[in-house]
Amino acid sequence: MQWSWTSIGILVSIAGTLSAALLALCGRGLWTHRMVQVVLAMSTATGAVAGVVFLFGNRVPVLFDAVDVLYGLRLVLHPLAAIFFVIVNGIACAAALYAIPYVAAHQRTYHVPMVNSAVAVFVFGMQTVLLASNVIGFMFSWELMSMASFFLVMADRDEASVKAAMLYLVMTHLGAAAILAGFSVLGGGNPLLDFSALATSARSLSSPYILLAFALFFFGFGSKAGLVPLHVWLPEAHPQAPSHVSALMSGVMLKIAVYGFILTAMMLLPGLPPGIGMLVAGVGLVSAVAGSLAAAANRDIKQTLAWSSVENLGLIFCMLGVHMFAASRGMPELAGTAAAAALFHCVVHAIFKSGLFLTAGGIVHAMHTRSLERMGGLAVRMPVLSGAFLVLALGASALPPFGAFFGEWMFLRGLIHAFVGADAGTMAFLLAVFSGFVFASSMAIFAMVKLFAIACVGQPRSAAAAHAQEPPRGLVYPVLLLAVGMIMSGVAAATILRAIGMEYLVRTDRVFAPIVVSGSVLQPAGLAGMVILALVLAFLFRRLWTGDPRERTYPTWDCGQPITAAMEYTATAFSAPIRFFFRPILQNRKIVTTAAVVATNAYVRSHTMTFASRSLWMEYLHLPIARLITWKSTQIRKLQNGTIQFYLILIFLALLVALVIAV
Amino acid sequence: MSSLLITVLQFLLVLGCAPFATGMVRWVKARMQGRAGASPLLPYYTLATLFRKEMVISPVTSWVFRVSPFVVLATALVVSAVLPLLSGGGMFAGNGDDFLFFAGILMLGSVFLVLGGLDPGSAFGGMGASREMTIATLIEPAVMVTLTAFAAASGTGSTSGMLAAGGGYLLAHPALLLSVLAFVFVLLAENARYPVDNPATHLELTMVHEAMVLEYSGPYLAMLEFASSIKLAVFAIFLGNLLVPQTLLPVGGGAESLVVAVLGMAAKLTIMMVLLALLESTIPKMRFYRMQEYSAMAFGIALAGLVLTILPNIV
Repeated sequence: MQWSWTSIGILVSIAGTLSAALLALCGRGLWTHRMVQVVLAMSTATGAVAGVVFLFGNRVPVLFDAVDVLYGLRLVLHPLAAIFFVIVNGIACAAALYAIPYVAAHQRTYHVPMVNSAVAVFVFGMQTVLLASNVIGFMFSWELMSMASFFLVMADRDEASVKAAMLYLVMTHLGAAAILAGFSVLGGGNPLLDFSALATSARSLSSPYILLAFALFFFGFGSKAGLVPLHVWLPEAHPQAPSHVSALMSGVMLKIAVYGFILTAMMLLPGLPPGIGMLVAGVGLVSAVAGSLAAAANRDIKQTLAWSSVENLGLIFCMLGVHMFAASRGMPELAGTAAAAALFHCVVHAIFKSGLFLTAGGIVHAMHTRSLERMGGLAVRMPVLSGAFLVLALGASALPPFGAFFGEWMFLRGLIHAFVGADAGTMAFLLAVFSGFVFASSMAIFAMVKLFAIACVGQPRSAAAAHAQEPPRGLVYPVLLLAVGMIMSGVAAATILRAIGMEYLVRTDRVFAPIVVSGSVLQPAGLAGMVILALVLAFLFRRLWTGDPRERTYPTWDCGQPITAAMEYTATAFSAPIRFFFRPILQNRKIVTTAAVVATNAYVRSHTMTFASRSLWMEYLHLPIARLITWKSTQIRKLQNGTIQFYLILIFLALLVALVIAV
Repeated sequence: MSSLLITVLQFLLVLGCAPFATGMVRWVKARMQGRAGASPLLPYYTLATLFRKEMVISPVTSWVFRVSPFVVLATALVVSAVLPLLSGGGMFAGNGDDFLFFAGILMLGSVFLVLGGLDPGSAFGGMGASREMTIATLIEPAVMVTLTAFAAASGTGSTSGMLAAGGGYLLAHPALLLSVLAFVFVLLAENARYPVDNPATHLELTMVHEAMVLEYSGPYLAMLEFASSIKLAVFAIFLGNLLVPQTLLPVGGGAESLVVAVLGMAAKLTIMMVLLALLESTIPKMRFYRMQEYSAMAFGIALAGLVLTILPNIV
């Protein structure tokens, strides 16, 4: 093999992560903890730099020698995996820096060596999934990633966490089983092949088998990515994990599912019919719409973010579906734009979602609750963190001049360009995608505004919020870093496009180059400059007119009576119009109980209200399936009737059947 | 004329006549109601007075409250410079006047208005903010689809290019008239006019925009009021330009075409404001909890316009 700086960097990052996992088990002290996080941060930073160097270099796949484990595993870094490799390492580095004060502050809640080791194994799993070039290596790393994150979800050993972790375990294993089955179908029953052999053997498959393999992959990677209806675990599991792990799970692990889907459905499987692209885009749209509505109505800071992940992954799969559709229909321009938008959104989503989860961690650290209803007024009390929060929330709303806007702009521009000259069926499909996409991304703005506004502005709604203070610097700096990344993802969108191999959408070689999609030009840095110039103008305008303004402080006006936080709008109240307009989807259970305060007077009563949202997917899909399985199992259990003769007959029958099959 | 000069001129003209737009609607409405009405120039005095006044600021508020007026005004300034209002040949033509950017920057302004409304922590501000955010969210798809119809008809995403699909071209593409209608729906919702919001009320449960700016006073209030005037003027002139693009200043036009363009812009603004006042005098305000009907109607009309516009391409 050829040694290069890239390959050394990659090896150092993997080895460093693995050694961090082992080092974590060496001691319970905080000194060990800091060492582990420093090692992890350094190794992942090395990996991120190596990935960036690779992407801006000549992009020749980096091959390592085959090692004699896992049936001749050979690590390979190809350009697609390198994009995700940078995401994994970059975010993991920020999360490791964040973990130094975060885990130390929660050492009574978490078993520190176990959490640190599991995080390192989790990152190691995600790194090697991207580098694996055979089925066994891929599945092994995939399971490392899944199992480590399973333990991390229940790291606080809370009852709700254990429950969420179990749900996650079931879903992730159903998914993993489907992926393994998909590989077996592709390889003609041989699960030991490497990917190039798999691609060769896939070409000789008949189309029903290809569709079967696709269905299995879509189920497997879709359940990991949280696509509807397999998303039920995501809003339960992601918020329960420690915040830096939530950031890794939502920002990064979901992207590994996207990578797996691209690898299998687009690179291994030979040409799929256009209907498949429509299916993927449709499932993505349903996820995006369901996720954005649930995020808009949610009242828990981390759960809102988890639902927003369902939405964003839905958008990414919608873009991928349009790509597959356009590629199979011979529309190369749209296919290219949709693929570029999907990869771009993967990068941007990783930045803002991890940033937001880390912010949420800082807020929960100060508040000791995740409920938005207990927050408020944090912008006064933690100005730096809330400033970064605002930048990340605006970025997540896909507003200009932040990165996500340019991803969505590229996709919508591509769609609009493809409208003209399309046939009726294609046009109907593209229009449906356009409408659903626009709806979901508007609703996402509502969700993000609600999240920031209820947490940070207004009066504090609880004593904890009133006495909250800026979290320790160690918790704020990584968030600031990601907020700066969010701004850069906007102004330097062209550079990201070049990194993901979409140079043809960029006009010049400069860092702040304009983007060109189907003849339309946008200059991200120019637009950002225009907004800043307008802000300066607005400021000058005010100064010229008023000079130094006189100010007086007076309490918020409330018809002449003193105002309290109880009169303020809450998250529930803020999203009430959305819940009202989308009642069939956003159903909730409201129970009001009243009891007489004095037995002799029926009119003086105390009222208690509980308000909870209902998960229709759980009630109408998953629980009936669970009931069916339980019922069937009870039926089958009748076989176990305690009669030894009956068991002998069963064994004999089983033998007969086995013989019949074998012969 | 150089494109930079055109843009600067347009920017100054739009800022200059924006308060007149608000005053004009109020004056015509007053006349319709049989009142003498205040002069259409009153908003200029109001703004000038507000800019000199002392500010009363709630102790509850944070930096968000102080940042919001600047961002809201800045988005209005961006929109007034970027859109093709005086001429289709400004410095942003085809490069930055993309309609998705227009929609996004308007949304940015709405978001900060909402944040500023929530910051003082009163129930009025909260109600206005929640409603404004809902309206903005629900109308956003209609904004996109409406302008997409023009983009598809003209083959470009830039708003200056879209004007090529307006005017006489509207007759060749009659379906675009549906899009124009949808644009009117959008205009009313985005600018907090009837039937979505009542711009004349203070402290009633019907209000949206006024509830959000309730805690603002002095220069900050002036900036927010000025921003909403600019937004209304920009929407009105843009709608006028979609219908009658002939008066726009052509690239390289001389002094006489400049006069035509300026007079044309003023005429469009005045006519649109009179029409708006007529509309506001004849229809009642809609209940807020029927907003989904309004936005669904806007979206449906916009979608019909889009489908019928691109249909000739496929049959």
